[in-house]
Order: sequence, then structure tokens, then C-alpha cells
Amino acid sequence: MSRDLNIKVHHLTRVEGHGNIVVNMKDGVLEKAHLSIVEPPRFFEAMLKGRSFHEAAIITSRICGICSLGHQLTSLVTTEDALGLEISEQTRLLRKLLVHGATLQSNILHAYFLAAPDFLGAGSVFPLIATHKDVVLRALRMKRVANDIGDIVSGRAVHPITPVPGGFTRIPEKAELLEIKRKLLEEALPDGLETVNTMKALAGAIPQFERETEYISLKHSDEYALYEGDIFSSDSGLIPIANYLDVTNEFVVNHSTSKHAKYNRNSYFVGALARWNNNNAQLGEEAHAAAAAMGLKPNCYNPYMNTIAQVVEAVHCILDSVRIIDKLIELGLKNEKPNQTPTRYGRGIGSNEVPRGILFHDYTYDNKGNIVEANCIIPTGQNLANIDDDMMKLVPEIIEKSKAEITLNLEMLVRAYDPCISCSVHMLEVDFIE
Amino acid sequence: MTTALTVIGVGNRLRGDDAVGPLLIDALSASQADALELIDAGSDALGILEYFENRQEVIVVDACSMGRDPGCLVSFSPSQADLVLEEDPLSLHGLGLAEALRMAESLKMLPEHLKIIGIEPDSIQFNGTLSQPVQRALKIAIKTVQDEFHRVTKDSEIKS
Repeated sequence: MSRDLNIKVHHLTRVEGHGNIVVNMKDGVLEKAHLSIVEPPRFFEAMLKGRSFHEAAIITSRICGICSLGHQLTSLVTTEDALGLEISEQTRLLRKLLVHGATLQSNILHAYFLAAPDFLGAGSVFPLIATHKDVVLRALRMKRVANDIGDIVSGRAVHPITPVPGGFTRIPEKAELLEIKRKLLEEALPDGLETVNTMKALAGAIPQFERETEYISLKHSDEYALYEGDIFSSDSGLIPIANYLDVTNEFVVNHSTSKHAKYNRNSYFVGALARWNNNNAQLGEEAHAAAAAMGLKPNCYNPYMNTIAQVVEAVHCILDSVRIIDKLIELGLKNEKPNQTPTRYGRGIGSNEVPRGILFHDYTYDNKGNIVEANCIIPTGQNLANIDDDMMKLVPEIIEKSKAEITLNLEMLVRAYDPCISCSVHMLEVDFIE
Repeated sequence: MTTALTVIGVGNRLRGDDAVGPLLIDALSASQADALELIDAGSDALGILEYFENRQEVIVVDACSMGRDPGCLVSFSPSQADLVLEEDPLSLHGLGLAEALRMAESLKMLPEHLKIIGIEPDSIQFNGTLSQPVQRALKIAIKTVQDEFHRVTKDSEIKS
């Protein structure tokens, strides 16, 4: 079909930082289809230079209110790698518990507040509050349990204070952990399973679109990798974290102030679907049952299913958090002090899976323990090229639809990746009623 | 002693004038008043819903784009203003204070007395500092919160 199509979706309501969808088709030939980013998430380096190893994680955790824990923990493992700080098994377990809480919270909010309104054709979450109040309350209840994990383990849910290089400044009490366990089993688990039912009912509204791409995530020998592991590519297998620059290969494109990334192909996918595709064999029975109920299969190439993979991970995080709490208690909580005596100075590289995908921090310290060089590569930057390639394949496939439908499909695609573009400025815009 | 007044500072400390909410919380934390609950909500605006439950008197302090001069401070209730919603956000990062307040209202979770202290920013660039006009506004905001606390508790134990 010979057709002209021009789509420009401008999201300008944030004062700074936004993504615009641009599609340009002339005489049936697709010239352009991309997500244009107008804010550079490349401010990390300048903010970290000259800062001491005690400060790095505090600063990075404040870069973004939604991604705060992911940045903080990745910053800590990077500093520990650079300074040769060993951590205890207890620290490792407490961090994994924090990662599970943050993943649960982000995945659930994304599924309910961003994806579900699309699947229901509601436009946004606000009309749903009146019609599906119980569902909105369920989402907020699950957010609260996740917050409780943050409060108890890290001292504060939003910008954690007790996790420091080498360990924790405060170890939670046994009774506090048991209370979290109770909430996980009595509140979060039933809510999580109800979430699976809700998403199962909505799954029919998920667009049928497939584009096989390269899936990149961490991989851990013993568990579904969220904290620690090696880099794994679905195309070429394992790569040590130290060689992350060989994977990310950042490059500049004209339509985005954020750099793009590519490895074995033109683009690659990071996030819940990549983790699912690479590591689903390491998930437990309940998570697999959830995936089966919602129609998520191994080697899924539909990017819209990222949301479903997030819900599967939420179930996993709830149950695995209980396992971690049991293990912590079995080992006996020890009031350890953080190990903050550097055994070396120089470069360190750290990586974790954060809700939106694999995150890399890379710092170089001088011999006073101050940062002289820093590099952070966030998941959204790595996904941008993949989103553009999805759009280039998707638009011709749905070109018979109306412009409004095509626009919605593209917005839903971008939302499926939950990009961190307007990272962290929550400026309230107000018009006064005269 | 039970909480008489909850003050929530919203904003990102790393983004110039957007730090005004958290900085107000810092300034008030010298106060030893048990009846004053101080929350630095950072930039996770949806998180403020957690602090609305079982509270009657709440003040939210945030940098607001109101089309006024930098440093201009306006104290208002949600019903006095039309909060501009991002109806169709592309990511969770698009859900801010307006969306959180709207959600709380729909769920009937708004505290009985909720006041928003909005401060018009000059710049919200990363790595910036508070601009002069917003520094002055911060002082006024602190005074406003202290007066409110006195009104609520009818005592004067709060210090600046």
C-alpha cells in the first residue's frame, strides 16, 4: 500500500527530559521510525569526579527516585571491586533481598499503572481507579510490602542509607525479618497470584508482534541472576563483566541525546524479557506456572511480553525473598561492621540487573579513595536501538490501521520497555483555578 | 506523642531548585518536636501515598511549575488548583506528584487537611545549587511550616 504517514508524539509535560516518537513514511516507504530522546542521562561522570568512596553510592542513588536502589547497589559493588573490599555472605543475602523488593515494586507498578491501562483500552490508570479500585489498591499493597523490605533492610525505602561499601551500618533484627516474611506470604503472595489472574485475563489484548533480537542479561551459575553474575548474550554466550565495553559499544545517533548500544547485531534487548529468555530454567515452579498461565514461553520474541515477564519475576521475587529470609535466620544474624579498609586502589567494574535491565558502573579511584573517572551505562540507553528496530519492523506490519491505532501501538511498545527518560524530575505543574 | 503534623518534601537533591523539598526537611530536622513527622520522599512521588494513611494534617513541599517568577511561593489545597496530569506517560518516570495526588483523591486517601507549598524554580539542571530566589523562598517555607505546626499543636517547641 502506498501511503504517507507522519507521526510525532511529543511528551513535553516534563520540564526536562522526554522521549518523542517520530515516524515518517512517504509513498509507502518507511523513512523513519524511532524514539527520540531529548535528555542525556550522561551526567553521572561529572557528579562523581572527586568524590570519596563513601559518597559515590549516596550520589548515584539520588540520580533517580525510581531507580535509586539499583544505582546504589551497583555503585557499591563497583567500589568494592576497585578497592578490593570483600563482603560477607550475610551482606550478599541482605542485598539480594533489597534487589527483590525493588524489582517487585517496579515490575508491579509498571504492569498495573502503565501496561494494564493499555490492555484495557483505558488511556491511563486514572479512569481505572473508579472502575477497578480493588486492583489499584492491590498494586499499592504490593508496593507497600516492597517498601517495607527497603525500610527494614536499608533504613529507608526511597534513598537507602544503611547499605555502604563493605556491608551495612545496621543489620535488621530477626523479628523484623520475620514480620516481612509474614507479609510476603500472607499479603504479597496472594496479591501476586491474583495479579497473574488479572494479567491472564488481559493477555488477549497484548499485540501480536515478534522480532527476534539479541537478549543480554546477567547469568549466575546458581540462581536467576539479579545481583551478581557474568554477562550473557543469547547470540554468543558468557562474557566477563570486566569486558562490558565490548558488549555495549556505545555510539551516537542524530535523533537522540542518549547514546545507543549494539553488540553482535544492530541492537539488543535488556530487561525482564531478556532475563526470562536467558535464565528461565533457573526459576521455580510457581514462577513457571505463572508464566504458563499468562502465555509466556521460553524464547519469546514479542517485546510487549516484557510486562508479562515482569509479573513472572514479581512472583519469583516474593517467594525467593522468603527463601533468603529463612537462610539469613538459619545462618544467624551477625552484627557485623562493614569492611571499609581498602586493599588496593584503581579501577572497578560492577553490574547488576535492575528492573529495566543490566546496569554497569565503572569507577577509577586514586590512592586517596577519590573517584578520578566514572562511567555508567543504564539499561534504557542499551534498549534504545532495539526500540527503534522494533518500530521499523512494526510500522509496515500495522500500516493498514488508523493513524491513532498505529500511534497507540507505538506508545505501548515504548511503555513495554518502561524507559527511564525523564529520570527523576517530578515537577508539579499547576494551573490555578481563577 | 502522636504525630500532629506530617511534612513531606518531594524532589531530587541533585537537580538545582528541585532540591527545595528535601532541603526543607533537612532544615526542620534540627527540631526535636516528636509531634512533627518529617519525610524526605525524594523523587518517588507515588511513595507519598504511603504517608497519607491515618494522618489528618499533611503539608507537601515541592518545586512547582506555576508560570510565576522564580522563588514565588504559593500555598494551596489540591482543590484550589488544576494539577496538570501526564495522562499518557511513556514510563513510570512520568508519574509525579500530580498523578499521586489524583490517585489519592480517587481512592479517598487524601488527608483531611492537605496543603501543598509550591515553589517556582529557576533552574532544575543536574548538579546545580539552589538559586537565590529559591533560597529566599525556602526560608519563607520553613516559617510557613513552623507557623502551621504551632497552629496545630498550639505550642512552641519547634525551633528553626
